[in-house]
Amino acid sequence: MSSLAPLEPGCVALVGGGPGDAGLMTVAGRAAIEQADVLLVDHLAPTGALAWAGPAAEVIDVSKLPRGAFTPQERINELLVEHARRGRRVVRLKGGDSFVFGRGKEEVLACAEAGVPTRVIPGVTSAVAAPALAGIPVTHRGLVHGFSVISGHVPPDDPTCGLDYAALVGAGTSLVVLMGVANLPAIADELLAHGMPADTPAAVVARGGHPDQEVRAASLDRIAAAATGIEPPAVTVIGEVARFAVPTLAPTHPTLLEEIR
Amino acid sequence: MGRVAERGVTGPGDPAGHAPPYPVGLRLEGRRVVVVGGGHVAQRRVPTLLTAGAEVTVVAPDVTPALEGLAGGGEISWERRGFRAADLDGAWYVIAATNDAEVNVAVSEAAEERRIFCVRSDDGLAATAWTPASGRYAGMTVAVLGNREPRRSAAIRDQLLGALRDGLVDVRAEARAPGVTLVGGGPGDPELVTLAARRAVAEADVVVADRLAPRELLGELAPDVELVDVTKLPRGRAAQQEEINRVLVERARAGKRVVRLKGGDNFVFGRGFEEIEACRAAGVPVEVVPGLSSAIAVPGRAGIPLTHRGMTHEFTVISGHLPPGHPDSLVEWEALARTRGTLVLLMAVQNAAAIAAALVEHGRAADTPVAVIADGTMPVEREVVTTLEGLGAAIEAAGLRPPAIIVVGDVVGLARPDGEG
Repeated sequence: MSSLAPLEPGCVALVGGGPGDAGLMTVAGRAAIEQADVLLVDHLAPTGALAWAGPAAEVIDVSKLPRGAFTPQERINELLVEHARRGRRVVRLKGGDSFVFGRGKEEVLACAEAGVPTRVIPGVTSAVAAPALAGIPVTHRGLVHGFSVISGHVPPDDPTCGLDYAALVGAGTSLVVLMGVANLPAIADELLAHGMPADTPAAVVARGGHPDQEVRAASLDRIAAAATGIEPPAVTVIGEVARFAVPTLAPTHPTLLEEIR
Repeated sequence: MGRVAERGVTGPGDPAGHAPPYPVGLRLEGRRVVVVGGGHVAQRRVPTLLTAGAEVTVVAPDVTPALEGLAGGGEISWERRGFRAADLDGAWYVIAATNDAEVNVAVSEAAEERRIFCVRSDDGLAATAWTPASGRYAGMTVAVLGNREPRRSAAIRDQLLGALRDGLVDVRAEARAPGVTLVGGGPGDPELVTLAARRAVAEADVVVADRLAPRELLGELAPDVELVDVTKLPRGRAAQQEEINRVLVERARAGKRVVRLKGGDNFVFGRGFEEIEACRAAGVPVEVVPGLSSAIAVPGRAGIPLTHRGMTHEFTVISGHLPPGHPDSLVEWEALARTRGTLVLLMAVQNAAAIAAALVEHGRAADTPVAVIADGTMPVEREVVTTLEGLGAAIEAAGLRPPAIIVVGDVVGLARPDGEG
């Protein structure tokens, strides 16, 4: 079915909002926002896109949900179902792509269990776009034929960390770390311990696609120090391609929302 | 701008037989503008006047909190009293926006005496100027003047701005520096193109497009836009890429805005960086509009998440254009098999059986679920679900051909029951 088919009342659309600039949202994503009766929005969702919502649309910032008997994710699932059951067109808008560390499938499954139909509108993932906007190709002919995307929200020595860093080092792919700002020193040490050369190029791209995008580049053994002071959201690229980092390759006017009222 | 605004005012004539207004753009920077009234109409007008650089004086006994804030911050002057004709001395433009018709008449008359154009919020026919429904896009102002039908004007304005941001209106007249923009066209469905991509294509003088670039976008090109179809360039991987690089550089040097449009994302096996290097070597400015990579969007639309909490917190996207063991291969299949994440194979239909065998040999379970999605997000999309050990035979039996995405991992089992709503 076309992504642009009208949203039915009682339906939930998961919309990937891309890396931050509303111009990097899809045509289908914008159409969904325009039709929404209620929007559940993350703190990483492109705020500019909310200008497309109708004047009567309700916007719920789920990053501000209180911690209570349920985890915030359980509460989000509940809210999606609740609003859909009241016959509203529900849009769940988040940054990046809903299926790349977005917990989108949990929301889809919760809706399915409650008999609520869903539609998934993919978004531009920050894992690829943030490096690209800093001039870093995650693949490059003759240099690297693949890329691995990992979540860095759990440090390597944590028992719940399911990553095999030795295998990742050996795979020969560009390594892209999401949600890894706080644990970057530990992740870099782990990669070095598994034999990744200390002079492997690395780059941290903070707020990729935003006007205040910031890029820090250094060798693997120095990247954590170079990234001191960087605040999330940031994407780290480790591998030969990171040596291509530049301050920005973003279009000079990527924003499409200029003064639209 | 002119073309758009004129169409708005020379449409159906005024039913009462009045001549249409004469459109003009006032340059108010540093000039005195008087707004009489402090209610919501005034509040809506003042920010636009301030954007235009006007020296705004509001005359009203009471104003809204927002206007009071502007006065307190020194952005406007506020005469906290009723209107006096002398308020208009030295003014270039006047807005009468009180809810008292008598006051508005007084303002009108004082403006008329002084030959100052005056907008009336209560009576358009008695006014000497009208405020159009306006908005700005990319440095251009769109203004719509109806026959005093503000809702209709606003609706038309919204449609025009929508068409502009959709790239449906030719905005190339906007002077943009020549250069090359690499634009990712997404997986194929025209609705999965980004707004920035549409805009870049709409602004292009030359579009250099691949076979997998979304065709619908090309159908909207203005007749004078040069479309270079890469598939028609000389064959052979290296020669073809060199020819593409040459075309990009040559057209940009000739002063053109060139868009390099591909399917997916230009940096995910798109050879985008080779084009950037060619542009840089030639001193041609280059920028990037990332697209939805098919590696992620195609599984996503098929209901397959690449990560799922408690199942996998990593994924690897890999090119399968060379089989394991090939001397030119840069992929360490043994280590890759030992990673615990989802694997996404692109350009791997030909070598799928050999890749599956290598993955099983190095430790992935033979019954690991695998999905093959051909022509993802397109009307002809086909999907086959199998296992690593069954992969080669399944592709052959179904007759699947490129372009196809192969997803390996437990997340494949999550695809249903939701499907696509």
